Amino acid sequence: SGAAWARGLLSWARPERWLPCGSVLPLSCIHTSTFLQKIGKWEKKNRIVYPPQLPGEPRRPAEIYHCRREIKYSKDKMWYLAKLIKGMSIDQALAQLEFSDKKGAKVIKEVLLEAQEMAVRKHNVEFKSNLHIAESQTGRGRYVKRLRCHGKGMFGMMKISRCHYFVKLVEGPPPPPEPPRTGFDQAKEYVQQLRSRTLVHTL
Amino acid sequence: VLVLVRSPLPRLRALLQRCWGRLERGLWPGIFGGQSPLWGPALAVQGPALVPQGIGDAVAPSLPESVVWMAAPKQRRTIEVNRCRRRNPSKLIEIKRNIDVCPECGNLKQKHVLCGYCYAKVKEETRLIRMEIYKKEAGPFNAPTVETVVLYEGEKPTEKDEGKRIIERARKRPSWFVQN
Repeated sequence: SGAAWARGLLSWARPERWLPCGSVLPLSCIHTSTFLQKIGKWEKKNRIVYPPQLPGEPRRPAEIYHCRREIKYSKDKMWYLAKLIKGMSIDQALAQLEFSDKKGAKVIKEVLLEAQEMAVRKHNVEFKSNLHIAESQTGRGRYVKRLRCHGKGMFGMMKISRCHYFVKLVEGPPPPPEPPRTGFDQAKEYVQQLRSRTLVHTL
Repeated sequence: VLVLVRSPLPRLRALLQRCWGRLERGLWPGIFGGQSPLWGPALAVQGPALVPQGIGDAVAPSLPESVVWMAAPKQRRTIEVNRCRRRNPSKLIEIKRNIDVCPECGNLKQKHVLCGYCYAKVKEETRLIRMEIYKKEAGPFNAPTVETVVLYEGEKPTEKDEGKRIIERARKRPSWFVQN
C-alpha cells in the first residue's frame, strides 16, 4: 500500500503537466492550441482539396472562406452591412466600409483584410485586388440574458446579443449585376407558363 | 329566525357629511330661503340638476380596466411581413459614390472631407511643434506678444522674421509645410 501511495503521488506530481502547452518539452502537450468546442463548418470549407484539373478544363477560380465568431453586435444590424457588400469587388467593399458610420463596418473591414492576406499567402491568389465577395452572411451568436434595472424597483430582462460574420471571396472580377426584371420579361414568363400546361389524368 | 338589523347611524352620518360638504362648496345654495341659485336664470328649474350626483363617486379607472382602450397588436406579424419591412430598399444602406483617392498620399477620402491620413500627419507634426513651444515657454501665461516662426534643420531666419519668436524643429522640412 505504501508503494501504491508513492506511485499515486508520483503520478499526481508529473512535472510536464504543470508547464503550459506549447513549451519546450517535446514528449507531452501535442495539442498546442486552446480547447475549442467545435471547429465551425465555415472554417472547414477551406480544407477541401480538389483533384488536379485536366488540361482542357477552364481554370477553377480560388475560393477563400473566412469568418469571425462572437462579434459584439446585433445580427440584424450586421445584416445590412453584409447585404451592402454582397457582390462587390474587395476594393469597393473596403472603401464603402471605411466611410460607413456603423460599428460592424470596422469589424467587417478587418475580416476582409485578413481574408485577403490569407488568400495571397495560402490560397495561391496572384493579385489581391482580383477578388470579389461571392457570399457574405451573418449568423446568430450566443445570447446572454441580463437584468436591466428601471425606476421604482421595476426590472426587465435584456439580452446581450452577439453575431458571427461569414465571407467567401472568389478570385476574379465581380459578376455583372442582374438587369432588373421588366414587364416584358414577366409577360414572356407568363406566356411560357401558359404554353407549358398539359392535360393531367388523361390518355 | 335570526334577522340582521343594520344600524342606520353610520349611513345617516355619511349622508350628513356629504350634504355639509356640498353646502360648503356652494353647490347647494337652494337651501337658503328656497331661492334659485345666484348665477342661474330665474326660470331655472330646481331639481336634481342642481345637485350634481357622483362627485364623490367619480374615481379614475384603475389600471386593469384602462387596458381595454390601449393599442395592442391583434395578430402576430409573420416573418414574411417582417422581412418585407426590414429589407425595404429605404432601410438598406445606400452605397456612397463620393469616395475618391487622395492625390497626396493615395489613401481613400471622401470628396467633401479632408484626407484622414494627411490630417493625422499634420496633427502629429503640430503636436511636436507645440511640445517645443511648451519647452521654450516653460510655464503657463508666458505666450509672447509677437508672431512665431517654425524653422527646420539648416534654415536661417530671413529679414522678414525679424521680431518673431523662432521655434526650432530637429528634422527636415516636410514637403507639405511650405516656407512663408
